[in-house]
Amino acid sequence: MASADSERRDTEESPAGEDEDTGAQVAPIVKLEEVVVTTGEENEDAVLDLKAKLYRFDKDGNQWKERGAGTVKFLKHKETGKVRLVMRQSKTLKICANHLVLPSMTVQEHAGNDKSCVWHATDFADGELKDELFCIRFPSIENCKSFMETFQEIAESQQKKEENKDASAAAGLLEKLSVEEKKGEDKAGETPSKTKEEDEAEKSDAEKKNDE
Amino acid sequence: MALPNQQTVDYPSFKLVIVGDGGTGKTTFVKRHVTGEFEKKYEPTIGVEVHPLDFFTNCGKIRFYCWDTAGQEKFGGLRDGYYIHGQCAIIMFDVTARLTYKNVPTWHRDLCRVCENIPIVLCGNKVDVKNRQVKAKQVTFHRKKNLQYYEISAKSNYNFEKPFLYLARKLAGDANIHFVESPALAPPEVQIDLAVQQQHEAELAAAASQPLPDDDDDAFE
Repeated sequence: MASADSERRDTEESPAGEDEDTGAQVAPIVKLEEVVVTTGEENEDAVLDLKAKLYRFDKDGNQWKERGAGTVKFLKHKETGKVRLVMRQSKTLKICANHLVLPSMTVQEHAGNDKSCVWHATDFADGELKDELFCIRFPSIENCKSFMETFQEIAESQQKKEENKDASAAAGLLEKLSVEEKKGEDKAGETPSKTKEEDEAEKSDAEKKNDE
Repeated sequence: MALPNQQTVDYPSFKLVIVGDGGTGKTTFVKRHVTGEFEKKYEPTIGVEVHPLDFFTNCGKIRFYCWDTAGQEKFGGLRDGYYIHGQCAIIMFDVTARLTYKNVPTWHRDLCRVCENIPIVLCGNKVDVKNRQVKAKQVTFHRKKNLQYYEISAKSNYNFEKPFLYLARKLAGDANIHFVESPALAPPEVQIDLAVQQQHEAELAAAASQPLPDDDDDAFE
């Protein structure tokens, strides 16, 4: 692979046909059958897809440690609208991060490196929930910025979603209210800054007008 | 092939013996695969450390029990005992230290005394270093003894998956085996307590000022 060659510092010429099999013929000891492969990402759309290097904070040693290098993605579920961050190690394609993006999350810049940023997550990469402090480093400042912006936007959109879910009935009512309010505004030409009580009063006014 | 205190798994597993001189990077290579980290500090392995390492292939999940052995003679311990029932092996040397390549035949002989006819990969590690002492052209032992050879770098991840892929293909007699994306399971919902969240934010602020271990390198593989 071209990318593998470029990461290699050694400028020596590589031996002829590096992938040539020079190994002895040995008898296989297992028979493996092809299986159906699932990525677990089938019902999601990728929002962002970037090359990066991921680190986790080792609290005992008070230092960042590499977790993997590969591709980081935000995956949005087609039905639920939930978004998670998934990162896979290149070549082995193993998962090095897998967590939901929650409204409570914030991502911030790394103090000493403007191509990287940090956040906290309850990660599920190993199939069990673990509190992790993550740092991610990108090849460019631009990629880091777009990652941070996307991350923050998603977190905020999840907030709205949650509010909508919690107060869907109330939200429906309010919406109705504001439509009627606008009607009233058009007539009266008032300033839009009103308290709920005022709105309610106006609404009943409007109703009266309609009744008249 | 698991140790008595290790869980057995319901998918194929293999005992992989890793040998080679002290300081060639056996432990660092295994650790890189297990946790992703790159350990710069050298702490000689005493005896042996066994690490289960899973890979996802088009033929399902497989596991290597990596027997990471002491390279230094004085820490070697029960050498033959580590080799017994080995189903595949990696012999590691350091391309920046000529002596470690010179010692490869000894490791090979010791290994083959116990493990006959197993697939073996010879790995020349640290190829990211500019001043190599063993050039690629000078590596010929694998041709004489019918081993597979890979130049690798545990630091840059160059070819770091190749030894496992080669061994998997040989053990199964299937040259088409390749790694596939492991299933990313849906993470469960978690309730976050406000007090705990504030603690995380404080920790995060402190961590954000700690330097990254390799800020200057530009390998994202």
